[in-house]
Amino acid sequence: MRNYWTIALTCIAASTLGLYNAYGAGGPKPTPLPKAKTIAELAERYDSSKCLECHEDVHDEWSESLHAKSILGTPRTAPTIITAIEKGLKLFPYSGVKEDADITVEHLMMCMKCHLPQLDEATDEVAREIVATIRNWQQANRDQDYTKAKKLEKTIASLNIGCMVCHNKLALIHKYADGYPQADTIYGANEGDHEDENYPKMAVAPALGEAIFCGQCHGQGPNFELDHPSQCATAYGSYLFAYVAHGGSDTCQECHMKKSGLGHDMQSYRDDTMIEMALDVNVEGRSLFWRKNRQEGVLPIGIINVELYNKSGHGIPDG
Amino acid sequence: MGRGPYEKSGLLRETSIPPLARVHKTFEITYPFKDVKKGTASRRELLEDELTVSVVLWYLPFGEFDGNETVFFEQEKDLDLKTEWIWR
Repeated sequence: MRNYWTIALTCIAASTLGLYNAYGAGGPKPTPLPKAKTIAELAERYDSSKCLECHEDVHDEWSESLHAKSILGTPRTAPTIITAIEKGLKLFPYSGVKEDADITVEHLMMCMKCHLPQLDEATDEVAREIVATIRNWQQANRDQDYTKAKKLEKTIASLNIGCMVCHNKLALIHKYADGYPQADTIYGANEGDHEDENYPKMAVAPALGEAIFCGQCHGQGPNFELDHPSQCATAYGSYLFAYVAHGGSDTCQECHMKKSGLGHDMQSYRDDTMIEMALDVNVEGRSLFWRKNRQEGVLPIGIINVELYNKSGHGIPDG
Repeated sequence: MGRGPYEKSGLLRETSIPPLARVHKTFEITYPFKDVKKGTASRRELLEDELTVSVVLWYLPFGEFDGNETVFFEQEKDLDLKTEWIWR
């Protein structure tokens, strides 16, 4: 009997330990790196070309997506950042911003929380350098100095949502359970050794394939944690409260990466494959004579009925 | 996303197509006709009894045609009144 209880207690302890180890492979909150003082320094820290040698296909896919130029955009994002400063920050009486020299990382987080989350690892000088670079790029285009514009455009595009943002900085969402991302680890679907001198380890990011992962940026509406909440992205909110609530079960990754066949070239409304996957349009037409009213009488009219069905996992359009 | 954050203050109005939802829109297009006087009476005459309707669904990211517009769908539909009741 005693042996039976010993064995039973041992099994319970072992299974409890097993459950504990089922959490993600993060670690203690790491000591932050010194803040980057220039765009070049921040870009170098998150430079995705480091991954190119071994992950060429994925890198090439990613480079076609807007993640690869998240603050440049199509390129309408960069001008919109300036508009947010001119029509927003500089007109809000309590923002503290009257001139570009007043801009800080905290101010730019209104945009960069999603467009460049790693900006929180940079000094306020970098925030001002980003704004100055975008302005100089706009001016170069106005001056038709396209060589200069191209060079500045490359600088703006060097800051982006690259490999290390998803596979390290934002990899682990529930940090109390899964730990904090470690500086020497790449987070993905596998664990083990990783052939890279700077990132010698691989570990599993439990939520990487779940919609909540994309929801970190493609959000639920206003970012209330900011002093001045902005609200660009509501796709994840639409996903949760309209799509899942009505029985939908596909994840962002399943549609935007797997079923589309686009992989890391995540696309949206500008891509024919995504449009085809997202929308069914049915058009019917008929003609008849219709008495409209006493004044106009009977009119010959053609009637076109258009039905749009949104097959996607979120409202269209959204972001 | 087509508006900068300074213009947004929440989902003021649903202008998107919600997921798994159907949206219907009906368009009425009047065939060309003219009213012809015949003595003291007036009679309507059909000028064309066939129409080719081009249906194009545009997405306007900034709410207007500014070079950023994208075509989501396009189809031509042929309509005719040949078999319909003729005005007396």
